[in-house]
Amino acid sequence: MSGASDDFSRAFYPFLHEEERAPEEITDELRFSLLEKARESVAVKTRFFEEQADAILDAGRILARAFRRGGKLLVCGNGGSATDAQHIAVEFMHPITVGRAALPAVCLANDMAMVTAVANDVGVEHVFSRQVIALGRDGDVLLGISTSGNSDNLVRAFETARSMRLATIGFAGGEGGRMAALHSEGKLDVCLTVPTSSIHRVQETHVTLYHVLWDLVHTILQDRRGEPA
Amino acid sequence: MKFMDEYRQRDVARRLADEIARLTDRPLKLMEVCGGHTHTIFKYGIEDLLPPNVQMIHGPGCPVCVIPLGRVDDSISIALEPGVIFTTFGDMMRVPGSSTNLLDAKAAGADVRMVYSPLDALKIAKKHPDRRVVFLALGFETTAPSTALTLQQAAKDRVDNFSVFCNHITIVPALKAILDSPDLKIDGFVGPGHVSTVIGTRPYDFVAREYGKPLVVAGFEPLDILQSVYMIVRQIVERRAEVENQYGRVVLRDGNRRAMEAMFEVFEPREFFEWRGLGSIARSGMRLRASYAAWDAERLFSVPGLRIADPKACQCGEILKGVKKPWECKVFGTACTPETPIGSCMVSSEGACAAYYNFGRLSKVAERAAAMAEK
Repeated sequence: MSGASDDFSRAFYPFLHEEERAPEEITDELRFSLLEKARESVAVKTRFFEEQADAILDAGRILARAFRRGGKLLVCGNGGSATDAQHIAVEFMHPITVGRAALPAVCLANDMAMVTAVANDVGVEHVFSRQVIALGRDGDVLLGISTSGNSDNLVRAFETARSMRLATIGFAGGEGGRMAALHSEGKLDVCLTVPTSSIHRVQETHVTLYHVLWDLVHTILQDRRGEPA
Repeated sequence: MKFMDEYRQRDVARRLADEIARLTDRPLKLMEVCGGHTHTIFKYGIEDLLPPNVQMIHGPGCPVCVIPLGRVDDSISIALEPGVIFTTFGDMMRVPGSSTNLLDAKAAGADVRMVYSPLDALKIAKKHPDRRVVFLALGFETTAPSTALTLQQAAKDRVDNFSVFCNHITIVPALKAILDSPDLKIDGFVGPGHVSTVIGTRPYDFVAREYGKPLVVAGFEPLDILQSVYMIVRQIVERRAEVENQYGRVVLRDGNRRAMEAMFEVFEPREFFEWRGLGSIARSGMRLRASYAAWDAERLFSVPGLRIADPKACQCGEILKGVKKPWECKVFGTACTPETPIGSCMVSSEGACAAYYNFGRLSKVAERAAAMAEK
C-alpha cells in the first residue's frame, strides 16, 4: 500500500486497522466518544428547558391543583417509557426529601395481569384506557410518555381521560407525533416534546423533566400564592 | 459516440443477461451501493434484463439522499445570515428541510447560488471580497478531493472570505454498517465506481475477507453493470468471495494518491455523523482540520445543530437501506413527486425514488413479482 493510501485508510477507515492500534488509542477514542454523547445530552436538555419552561410550569400547576383537590396522578408509557412511568409514580408516592408529602400516583404499566388480560382479550391499544375507565376520576391527571408521540394506546388513553374530565399531560419526542397533534387540536392539555430524533436523548430529557416537575409540584403546593384560581 | 456505444451494445447485454440466468436460479439479492449505478440500472432497464431470481437492492450511495434534515436546516440557517453568498450543487437546492428548502430561502431573499464545483465558489469569493461566501460541501470520497484541493487553493491565495460547510461522508463505514445490519441479507455488492477511482479497491477487502461477500467495482455504462453482476453471481456459484475490479480502465488498486493526500491534509473524521435512514455511523463524516479552521463555516456560524425527525409520511430511511422499494412508500408518486418532494430520495437524480419515477419502473415491478410467484 502506498503511503498516501495507508495514511488515508488509517485515518478514515480505522476499523480496517484495529489490530494495529494500541489499546490506549482505543481508550482515547472511547473517552472522546462518551464525552461527545454527554455533551450532546446536555445541549438537548438545555435547549428543551429553555424553550418549554412555560409549558412545564403549566404542567406543574395542573398537577398541583389536582393533588390539592384530592385527585391523583395516573401515569403510563410503553417499553422504556413504562419504566419512566413507574419511576414517576414512585417519586410521588415515596418522596425521598424530608418535608415533601407522599402524593397518590399510579403507574398503569405495573399490573401485568391487567395489561396482559386486556392485550390478549381486547387489544394492546386498550391496555391503558381500560384502566383509566376503572381508576380515573374527574379532577385526576393522566400523564402519558412516548418518545415518538405516536403510541396508539396512549392516544386512546388521552381521549378516554378527556371524556372523563381528567387533565392530560404528554411527554413526547421528535416532532411530537399524534400527541402533538392532539395538543394542537385542544385535546391534550400540555404536550412537552423533546425536539430530537435520538431516542436516547429524548429519554434522558424525560428523566430530568419528571424530576424537575416533581420538585416544581411540591414547591407550588407549599406556596399557596402559586395556587391557581 | 466512441468509447460509449461500445458499452451499450444491446446484443452483448442480452448475452450477459442470458449467462447470468444460466449460472443459477437461486434467489439472490445484490446491492448496488452507488447512486450513479442506481441511475444507470433504471435508465437502461437493467432489472428487466436480469432473471427474476436476481434482485437489485438500491443502497445509500446518494449523498444528497442521506443528508439529514437537521443539516439541511443548518445550511438554510447559514444562507439566511446577512452578507452571506451561499453556494451549492443544484440538486441540494430543492431538498426539503424541516420547514423550507434553499430554493425557497433564495426566493425569500437569501443569496443562494448554484455552482458546478467548489472552485466556482472560490471564484465568487475572490470576486466579492466584501461578502462571506460559503460552499455547501457534500458527497462521498468522490467529491471530497475537489473540496480539499479548493481549500488548499484558498489557503494559498489567502482568500479569507471563503468557507466550507462540510457534509462529506465516507462510503466504507456505511458499507460496514450495512453488512452488520440484521435487517439486510445481501449476497453480493456492486462496488462504487467513482469513489473507487479515489480510494482504490483495497479498502473493500474486508467485505470478502470478514463477511464472505463478493464485491465487484463497476463502471457506469449498462454493460459495466451487467458484467459486474455476472462476475458477482459467478463468484457466488463458485463459492468464492473476492474483491474484483470490473472498472479497471479507471480504477487502480491503490486509488489516486494525490486525491488522498489532499483529503488527509484538509479533513479529519468526525466521531460520528448522522445518515438519513441509517442513523449515526461512527467515523463516517469528515470535518475540516484545525489547521483549516479559518475556512470552516461550522466554526464561523452558529447553526441550530438539531437532529430533526423525518416527516412521518417519508420512508426514505427504509428505501435507503434497501428494505423497501420506492413504490412501496405510501406517498410515492402521489404526495411525493419530483415537483413536490417530501423526501430527498425524490430530489436527487441519484435517488432511487426519482429514478423509479422518471423511468417508469412501477409496471415492471408487478411483472417481476408475478414471474417469481409462478416459479
